[in-house]
Amino acid sequence: MNQPSTISDRPSIRSVLASRRLDHDRDLWEQRLREVTSRDVEAALASRPGSYCLTKLLALVSPAAEGHLEPMARLSQQLTIRRFGRAMRLYAPVYLSSHCVNRCRYCGFNRDNAFPRVRLTVEEAAAQAEILASEGFRDILLVSSEDKAFITVAYLTELAKRLKGKFSFVGIEIYQMSAQEYERLFEAGIDGVTLYQETYDRATYARYHLDGPKADYDMRLHGPDDMGRAGMREIGLGVLLGLADWRIETLALAEHASHLIRRYWQSRISFSFPRLRPACGVPAAEFPHLLSDQNLVQMMLALRLCFADAGIVLSTREPARLRDHLIGLGVTRLSAGSRTSPGGYTDPDANTGQFEVNDHRSPGKVAAVLKTRGFDPVWKDWDGAFCSGSELTCL
Amino acid sequence: MRSLKVNGTERRFAPDQMPRTLAVLLDVLGVGPTTVVAEVDGQIVRRDEFDRTELKDGQQIELIKLMGGG
Amino acid sequence: MDKLTIAGRVFASRLLVGTGKFASPQVMAAALEASGAEIVTVALRRVDIDDPADDTLREIDRERFLLLPNTSGARSAEEAVRLSRLARAATGINWVKLEVTPDPYYLLPCPVETLKAAEVLVKEGFVVLPYINADPILAKRLEDVGTATVMPLGSPIGSNQGLKTRASLEIIVEQSNIPVVVDAGLGLPSHAAEAMEIGADAVLINTAIATAGDPIEMATAFRLAVEAGRKAYEAGPRAPGRHAEASSPLTGFLREQ
Repeated sequence: MNQPSTISDRPSIRSVLASRRLDHDRDLWEQRLREVTSRDVEAALASRPGSYCLTKLLALVSPAAEGHLEPMARLSQQLTIRRFGRAMRLYAPVYLSSHCVNRCRYCGFNRDNAFPRVRLTVEEAAAQAEILASEGFRDILLVSSEDKAFITVAYLTELAKRLKGKFSFVGIEIYQMSAQEYERLFEAGIDGVTLYQETYDRATYARYHLDGPKADYDMRLHGPDDMGRAGMREIGLGVLLGLADWRIETLALAEHASHLIRRYWQSRISFSFPRLRPACGVPAAEFPHLLSDQNLVQMMLALRLCFADAGIVLSTREPARLRDHLIGLGVTRLSAGSRTSPGGYTDPDANTGQFEVNDHRSPGKVAAVLKTRGFDPVWKDWDGAFCSGSELTCL
Repeated sequence: MRSLKVNGTERRFAPDQMPRTLAVLLDVLGVGPTTVVAEVDGQIVRRDEFDRTELKDGQQIELIKLMGGG
Repeated sequence: MDKLTIAGRVFASRLLVGTGKFASPQVMAAALEASGAEIVTVALRRVDIDDPADDTLREIDRERFLLLPNTSGARSAEEAVRLSRLARAATGINWVKLEVTPDPYYLLPCPVETLKAAEVLVKEGFVVLPYINADPILAKRLEDVGTATVMPLGSPIGSNQGLKTRASLEIIVEQSNIPVVVDAGLGLPSHAAEAMEIGADAVLINTAIATAGDPIEMATAFRLAVEAGRKAYEAGPRAPGRHAEASSPLTGFLREQ
């Protein structure tokens, strides 16, 4: 009997990356990047905007494409406006905890770092969110380090239920969970999950993730698949820019996105671009792959030109001036007025933050700047209230 | 009299003329195509089973064949 | 040119041909030969008791062509499933082109009944090729259910209007993980070439060949058009040129460091 092929017959992201050698063979990909010519870049730009193939992206992230940033920027701007209009979603993070069991060498919350750790109760977290709601936000991101003991599924579902009335979109960026746990969170009102692979290069991953559950590369890699299976509407991907060669990371990131788009057609993929910044206890000399502003722009444009519908998210890690210029080049979601320490909206200096914020402007100020640049700041994108557990009945 | 409904039309047979099996019925009717399939009272019968399929008075028989189509 | 794979079977030809509306079985057989097709669709009908020996398909070499029965005439999922089971019993093969067309004017397919029937048929082990309107969401739902392909229409059956649904077809081609066979409404070889150029995996032609002045020559023309369109697609065509508006540079700020 002919069995039709099912989703599970198709290769896993792990085998895709391994077979393309994107998770380990730096020399191969550095050579391929060097071999890209200006004509290859032009061919990539002439192909259908917003469509992805690995060869096209290879050309767009290559050194040869550096001379083509202006046409890339124009195309990216046009494509983004066609697909997203001039709307810019605004969101803000609420940090729930700085307790962490992982030892990630790049992170301010590394468990080896000595500073007073803080946790918010559900009440306290809701109070932080209330402040954001009063500033106009309807899109919120709950962030936490690996503090499974306290930030439990029960905690998050309780918090989500409280927030659902005020916020139309609640996302999380926390330690990795199982598919069943993501399902429970989805039912409780969490619509999106962000989980960075940090780096797709296995050797680099091992070097920076010394201990803790996050040290398992393969487990981390399959997190987004679990989110897709759970029905999460938004899946956020990203690498920590500066750990390894950004060009190769972008290729792996794109393969990951493409894999997820094909399998979970009802979820939207978004890309974030956390660029390594100074943080407490992290010496700068340890990171030889830091990106210039030009590299960051090239990466964003290349991804936009390959993924017409992906969200492109920019946080307050980046300075105000740069953010203002990047807004028109393909960004669809922006955080504003962020505090990266738990309790930071009531007491900004009391606790240590995960990273330094470089755009300190208030949400109101950011919204005003958006308007002057011809963008419409959108505080709420869609309303979960329309979807909450209603049954079809005849009126 | 015995009867069978064949493709919506009633056909009558004297008791000793009644086709014993589907194969005999097709012979009697002159149905040729090899790609014929039958339904007897809603149950599908394959061509290779026609000579084993006995017919009873009053059954509804559909004879269906493949033909040209898009 | 790379080969077409449907449900694990590999085909060299990306042109599927229907066997209806031909003037005679001999013309049909010659046209099929000229088309290079490897899959041909057939229909199920009641034997005509007044002309019971009529066998239009006797000319088709079943060693050469894969017969793909369609469920044309079905207006509901139940009818389509019944016809599929009959077809399997008649041919011994479990491939079926699922067509549920309640509307007798345009013969447009019903999405609801098609999805219902597809679910049942896939569970019963059929290789299902569903005929649908060019609805990208329906295409994904059918893929989720486990159909072997999707077959979106270019324009209504027999209308010969070409790719009226082009924009939606492009989305289906982009999003589909299973082969996309554009079926219905392709009236000219250029329509078939266009479908292949935008990335369709195959096309199905019936009326345009069967009712042409010279069906054998037209079958040849379609064969060549499908090959040309596919070659063009594989060669990587450039998108039509866009002229950027002249304005101040977007990336000039990078040089201001």
